Amino acid sequence: MAALTLEKLTVKFGGLVAVNELDLHIRDGELRCLLGPNGAGKSTTLDLICGKTLPTSGRILLGNQDITHLPEFKRARAGVGRKFQTPTVFKDLSVIENLEIGRSAFPGVFSTMRVFRTPIRGRIREVLSLVGLEDEIYTKAENLSHGQTQWLEIAMLLMQDCHVILMDEPTAGMTAQETKQTASLFRELQGEHTMIVVEHDMAFVRDIADIVTVMDCGSLLAEGSITEIETNAAVREAYFADTGDDHA
Amino acid sequence: MNKGFSIDCIGYALFAVFVVLIIPWSANYSGYDLNVYARYLVLGMAAAAVALSWGTAGILNLGQALTFGIGSYIMAMHLKLKASGAQAGGMPDFMVWTNMEKLPWFWEPFQSVSFTLAAGILVPVAIASLIGGFMFRGRITGVFVAIITLSFMLAVQLWIISEQRFTGGQNGLTGLATLELFDWSVDVYGLAFYYMVAGCLLVVLTLGLLFLRSKAGLVLRAIKADPERTRFFGYDVSTYEIVAFAISAGIAGIAGMLYAMILGFASPTYMGLSLSLAFVIWAAVGGRESIVAATLGGIGVNMAEGRLSDLFFDQWTLILGVIFIVVVLFLPRGLFGLVMDLRIKLESHFMANPISRMNTSLDKHRSETTASQREGK
Amino acid sequence: MYSWLNEIFIGLSLTSILLIIALGLAIIYGTMGVINLAHGQFVMIGAYVAWFLQSQFGIGIIVGLPLIFIAGALLGLVIERTIIQRLYRSPLDTILATWGIGIVLEQLVRGLFGSDSRYVARSEFLDGNLILAGIHMSYYRLFIIGFALFTLAVTWFLLFRTEFGTKLRAVIQNKEISECYGVSANRVYAMTFAYGAGLAAIAGALITPMVSVTPTMGTKVVVDAFLVVIVGGVGSIAGTAAAALMIGEASAWLSYLLNETTARILILLGVIVLIRFRPQGLFPNKVRR
Repeated sequence: MAALTLEKLTVKFGGLVAVNELDLHIRDGELRCLLGPNGAGKSTTLDLICGKTLPTSGRILLGNQDITHLPEFKRARAGVGRKFQTPTVFKDLSVIENLEIGRSAFPGVFSTMRVFRTPIRGRIREVLSLVGLEDEIYTKAENLSHGQTQWLEIAMLLMQDCHVILMDEPTAGMTAQETKQTASLFRELQGEHTMIVVEHDMAFVRDIADIVTVMDCGSLLAEGSITEIETNAAVREAYFADTGDDHA
Repeated sequence: MNKGFSIDCIGYALFAVFVVLIIPWSANYSGYDLNVYARYLVLGMAAAAVALSWGTAGILNLGQALTFGIGSYIMAMHLKLKASGAQAGGMPDFMVWTNMEKLPWFWEPFQSVSFTLAAGILVPVAIASLIGGFMFRGRITGVFVAIITLSFMLAVQLWIISEQRFTGGQNGLTGLATLELFDWSVDVYGLAFYYMVAGCLLVVLTLGLLFLRSKAGLVLRAIKADPERTRFFGYDVSTYEIVAFAISAGIAGIAGMLYAMILGFASPTYMGLSLSLAFVIWAAVGGRESIVAATLGGIGVNMAEGRLSDLFFDQWTLILGVIFIVVVLFLPRGLFGLVMDLRIKLESHFMANPISRMNTSLDKHRSETTASQREGK
Repeated sequence: MYSWLNEIFIGLSLTSILLIIALGLAIIYGTMGVINLAHGQFVMIGAYVAWFLQSQFGIGIIVGLPLIFIAGALLGLVIERTIIQRLYRSPLDTILATWGIGIVLEQLVRGLFGSDSRYVARSEFLDGNLILAGIHMSYYRLFIIGFALFTLAVTWFLLFRTEFGTKLRAVIQNKEISECYGVSANRVYAMTFAYGAGLAAIAGALITPMVSVTPTMGTKVVVDAFLVVIVGGVGSIAGTAAAALMIGEASAWLSYLLNETTARILILLGVIVLIRFRPQGLFPNKVRR
């Protein structure tokens, strides 16, 4: 069964068509990488799926559920989680508090009113050691390093434990070591979770991708395995089209 | 949520001792002074109401005086009816003067004490929920919330002033009887009344703290930091905002009811911009992030006004304005912020303690991390 | 027919007063995002300067306008440099700080001149009415309508036809990049605040013959000005003018049809609904902050 389906999804901003009749079928448990040159509409597609932007036309189906017109928080409850391009954590809150927010299985106000402690055991402990933040439990998020903040956001998503996870450039600003760790983490998550990853780091993509979708100018350009994509002429043109010169 | 609880408890205990023991002792357990202190406590409660939604959730309610004023009018209506038993149809005097034929239907239920007490909390909560829903479901934030709450308050204030036959108009409701709570005739100059006020304050603060220290309070802080991000985790931000807004209103309503008893009248003057901003000032001086600090701000500023306005009668308002500017500029977290910063400094000097470690050794940690990152690359 | 025209005229008169008062506030809010609750006190100070000039030196309102503008602008400049400039980070904090400034200004004036109402006479040559189509239009009110349009035109000119205006608009759109081009944002903010304060002072001077000049006259006008600015939209002169027109005419008509209090209540409720459904205002400037 498809975990996520986009049907002729379109969004226009004034005259600009940012996403153009995009059709996407993502199977349950898949790890789909979304590639494309700058301005291709990748982040916008993620925005559309999680509800940050509303489409001009088209449909979004989560499993069998039409979520096209649901507000963001309902989509999150239905099982869509999003990691943003620039790490977006709650700067005034500590690491453990951020994770507690991530733990949103019971998000209603009358449920949260009854929770007073975050016991540091079980899942939370697991996640903390997975992302290497066990020593920073009470540190305010704004005092973390860039890499640590990325990790914190990933940790929050792990706590959220939603079925479909949207990752927007998860390794941006990470060291090589951290990127490797992220790759192994993703491989672990795959299967239980369905993931859509927007990335530019090709080594990372090769490491984790099942199927790769390439976008250009808001439309789907090519789809297939990594090798198929790399040898696709249209893709090469889209990436290198305007430049006559070398760019490293 | 987890941290610092025991230290905070000490603070709360000190506050309770201050309110329950120290103040009555200094007023010699009776008389005019006690009434004045009760008034300070009530105003402190109003400041706490503002701080709850402002400091935690970032919702600046410039119309808090509205819910406060409604609470006081509700209590005053009950007490006015009690005092008007002898009149034709049990109507208050101003209704007789304005040639009303009989008591309007919406006045009737206030004959009952229980109804009055319930209404004094529930009506402000209901109004706040409606206005809150109107605003927050539309994702209105920040300045616009301030303006809408302000405008609504002004509109209601104008209505109350204009509908003299229903509300007593500009003069408000005066000549109130004494409240009788289940066979206890409440003497507002007595010790029992002071303890009732103090009790209400402590109960309100306790419930407020329970709410704010729970995960719900944490979610509100997340909303203040980044409402959109909070939504992406599945939280219905507008519901949280409405709840915080409504709780503040309920607290203000209780404070309003007590205020009407203390003053002996209710007036539309206390439903205006000046009082709303006064609440905000007191919360800012005390520290908007902590409802207990905000309460102290309210008590403290009013106490200072009481003492100093005799000395500096003409200049007190001026001084207040200057204090306010200074606080906003240099003490954005109020005196509470000052105390917190001092505490961290002291701890890092004298104690090896997780709280100090987390903040002061951070720089060391960061430089170590960056160094290893550079090596890793 | 007669009463309609009369109401339209009254509406225009109210509009023009609102406009002159609100324009300064709108410019400040549009440029710096500062909601200056002390604006009403700038208006009040303009009124007092007008009274002072007239009672001490016999200088009439109209003649004194340049001086009054400068007085207001200087005061604005001082306040901006000492207090406001520290608060650009937080719009809610500026509301509070400016309220404090307003209190201080009000108390200073009260301390210096007392709470009694001061009388300022309008310039003699503007006494009397123009009678047209059966309605009496006071020359003074006509003058204010004209002056409001004049101020609008001058402001527009400043914004769109001068170098200062270009710098100002650049800073509004993108402060950091403007500074990269050598535009001193601080100086622009200071000048803008001064200009807004000067306009407020002029407004205050002009309305003296029509209202009672007391230290508290400021708070009465600031809320209305505030509403006009928010309804009009951030950084939009056209919006401010349109909002002033809407509110001015609505006030006149609703007062005529119902009564003044109900009119005001309805306008407040109308503003609430408008802001809720269109918080960006009538003519928002599409500015990315």
